Amino acid sequence: MKLGSDSLADLSLGAVFLATGGGGDPYVAYLVAQKALETYGPVELIAPQDLDDDAFIVTVGGVGAPTASLELLPSLDEAVNTVKEFEKRFDRKVDAVVSFEIGGGNSLIPIVAAAGLGIPVVDGDGMGRALPEAQMMTYPISGVSPTPAVGLDYKGNAREFHSSDIFEFEREIREFALKSGGMVTSAEHSMTGKQLKAAIMPGTVSFSIELGRVLRMNRGNAHRIFEPLSNLFADSIYGDIFHLYTGKVIDCSSKIIGGFDIGEASIASFDGSVEPLTLTIKNEFLVARVGDEVIASVPDLITVLDYETSTPINAERLRYGQRVTVYGIGCPSFYRSDHALKFVAPRCFGFDFDYQPIETLASRAVPSNKKSMEGARAESPKIVPQENSQ
Amino acid sequence: MRIGIDVGGTHTDAVLLDGDAVISSVKALTSADVTTGILEALEHLLSDSGINESAVEAVMLGTTQFTNAVVERRQLSKVAAIRIGLPSGEGLPPMLGWPADISESLGNHVYSIHGGTLYDGQELAKLEQKEVEGVIGDIKSKGIDTVAIAAAFSPMNPQPELEVARQLDAAIPGLNITCSHRIGRLSLLERENAALLNASLLKFANRVVDSFGSALRQRKLNCRYFISQNDGTLMDAEFVRRFPALTFASGPTNSLRGACRLTGLNEAIVVDIGGTTSDIGILQDGFPRESNIIIEVGGVRTNFRMPDLLTLGLGGGSMVSEDGTRIGPQSVGHRLVKEGLVFGGSTLTATDLLVAAGKVDIGDRQKVKDLDSQVITNGLKTIQKMLNEGIERMMPSSDPLPVVLVGGGAILVSENLDAASEMHIPEHSGVANAIGAAIAQIGGEVERLVSYRETPRKEAIRKISEEATQRAIKAGADAETIRIADIEETTISYMPDGSTRVRVKAVGDIAPEESER
Repeated sequence: MKLGSDSLADLSLGAVFLATGGGGDPYVAYLVAQKALETYGPVELIAPQDLDDDAFIVTVGGVGAPTASLELLPSLDEAVNTVKEFEKRFDRKVDAVVSFEIGGGNSLIPIVAAAGLGIPVVDGDGMGRALPEAQMMTYPISGVSPTPAVGLDYKGNAREFHSSDIFEFEREIREFALKSGGMVTSAEHSMTGKQLKAAIMPGTVSFSIELGRVLRMNRGNAHRIFEPLSNLFADSIYGDIFHLYTGKVIDCSSKIIGGFDIGEASIASFDGSVEPLTLTIKNEFLVARVGDEVIASVPDLITVLDYETSTPINAERLRYGQRVTVYGIGCPSFYRSDHALKFVAPRCFGFDFDYQPIETLASRAVPSNKKSMEGARAESPKIVPQENSQ
Repeated sequence: MRIGIDVGGTHTDAVLLDGDAVISSVKALTSADVTTGILEALEHLLSDSGINESAVEAVMLGTTQFTNAVVERRQLSKVAAIRIGLPSGEGLPPMLGWPADISESLGNHVYSIHGGTLYDGQELAKLEQKEVEGVIGDIKSKGIDTVAIAAAFSPMNPQPELEVARQLDAAIPGLNITCSHRIGRLSLLERENAALLNASLLKFANRVVDSFGSALRQRKLNCRYFISQNDGTLMDAEFVRRFPALTFASGPTNSLRGACRLTGLNEAIVVDIGGTTSDIGILQDGFPRESNIIIEVGGVRTNFRMPDLLTLGLGGGSMVSEDGTRIGPQSVGHRLVKEGLVFGGSTLTATDLLVAAGKVDIGDRQKVKDLDSQVITNGLKTIQKMLNEGIERMMPSSDPLPVVLVGGGAILVSENLDAASEMHIPEHSGVANAIGAAIAQIGGEVERLVSYRETPRKEAIRKISEEATQRAIKAGADAETIRIADIEETTISYMPDGSTRVRVKAVGDIAPEESER
């Protein structure tokens, strides 16, 4: 499948949805990818199963402080040059590139590299969503070594990394980023096609494009979009999508602790008939509770849409009074193994409970998903479409 | 005494104020040349009140002309865009992602050169003299007379922008230049866009300022005059000639400020209901709450200081569905006086509902006497519901705030809004925007990225506040009256602890005329 610049807007929109409140604004990455595909032509999006077992693949993306890249813009050739530097230093020809995470701007960087190098980009990623730390990627969880790796700063200065410990590597490359303007591009977690097939969230790039398309084509309120979304997710590596709640944000607090946005948001049903839903936020939406009962938690996906337009809302943009719909989606099965949960379970984020799959939790909290949909629909007010003046 | 004038798309509103007292007010139609409408409004004000021109100390003007010029792509000059940030951003030239029609209006003259600063204050790259000279030569040979300059992290370190501006100015005398650090906040692309839009308006700004000045003199008003900007503060004429884009969204801001003055409330929700839309904004400490999101002006992403507004498709001319359960966003707008039922037209509008319910007396009530009472009940409920929901979306917390209704469409609200702690429809609410212009103060704002580890918080804020104060004085504020109106601190994620973005705004009254600047 060829990926051209006409797919990028949908891919970006889908990536914001899958970022579950985190991931930042992908606009600059979108501009770079747009320019790359216009300059070099479309790239081949290759399915993981179509890779040769001995093909050589590296992951590529930005590492550092997103705020720095508001001023220190990426260059068109930065991702390309990072991979070239990797090839030169470690004397390996790279056959394809793949992304760290589908949620947010890093979903687009491998496309930029692939376009400039004339090699395919793998249809998949290392998270299937957005998560804050490198050890949470499927690649290290599967035993792929983060190194040898190369970081490239905006000047084209390269630095090699050789630590095989993911935590040590993460610390080293973040230090490099902070000393080099705040943001660097990294080529890391190299692997063979065979390794990749066992270590990837497959199909997430094409899925994100399709998801963006569904969101764009079905503009309207969040209940109208449920059915098309439900059909889309049912046929994917994700599981079912569950309507967790529809209501109004009644409380929203957040602060930044140790580089992370930590916060909580409460959402009350429009008529006050149902107990409020509480979301716990740490860059992403991590836990949804009704009363004391957890109804969805990381690594399952919790996404918040603007009720009237079905636009996914970034956690830092969540505000008092917004009318929202909260959906929960089962994470890909990769994250549900006992081994993977050692890295992505609620306890890894400081919560004091074990992971339970959303299909177990949601069915307990809401007797029948279908019924809750109908109930929510009955109480949903008629909203007159609004003119946006800006 | 002061005169406030607000030039909107349809109406030119004006008020004459003596202190807080409204001596005279008028609503005139906006003329195609703008000046005629202003003169007409001034004529009414002065002859109605019998006030002598010499008693007027200052005239304040709010205008949508610059916003409309961008939206309609009229009056825009060709601009050369110079970005200082290479080697970062290589391959991503200025104006990338702009709608084609507006980048063509500006001529697509884009340059990228080495230089700029990093987040930690280190040099991003050295300015290269040869590059700078190359750009100057090219601009000269193309005969471009307007330039926008944007450097990475220029709000923290404006030197690279200033150096390139200095060289340009020396090489091409009379060049119009906008430096991005004077106009926008952190986020290079949006700040660069803001500088470009501003630069493209510079020549038009000269014409607007000149014609406004001559209109005043023609009416024998020889006093000073100011133009209001989007944060509710004023610019003097010379400042507007350099920063016309800072007038964007000053209309809604003036409404909010006017509502503040008319009610004396510093914390309130203001609903400005016009013919087609209702703008809901928040007064915090007497000034509009500002939006923190990317705002597009004419399809171009910018990060101007703009009031945070929720616009609902509900106004006096909004069309009503057959059963009354849906109102707007379609509207007959200013054709209400022809097309509304009570005016003999055939369109059921929101205004007709209020007349039919006996809440207001406009037009011919007989024309709506047969309207189904269920439709009226539904319609009034729909109006209340739309406004209540809009207000709830804008409320900063669950504590209800007073609601102030302004604008000609305020009649649509027939009973208390549940979301309001109390309701105000002040006298002269129809010209709140002109009052907001008349009472505006002078402000200065500075934004810096600082490390509290290196500079203790108190010291950092003191320094930035001093800079903001100096900026306000330079813009024409009376040093005696300046106060710090707002301090905003944002911690930066994924950065070493203590990295904080600090923004400080100082405001003060207009300096007495004789004071030196």
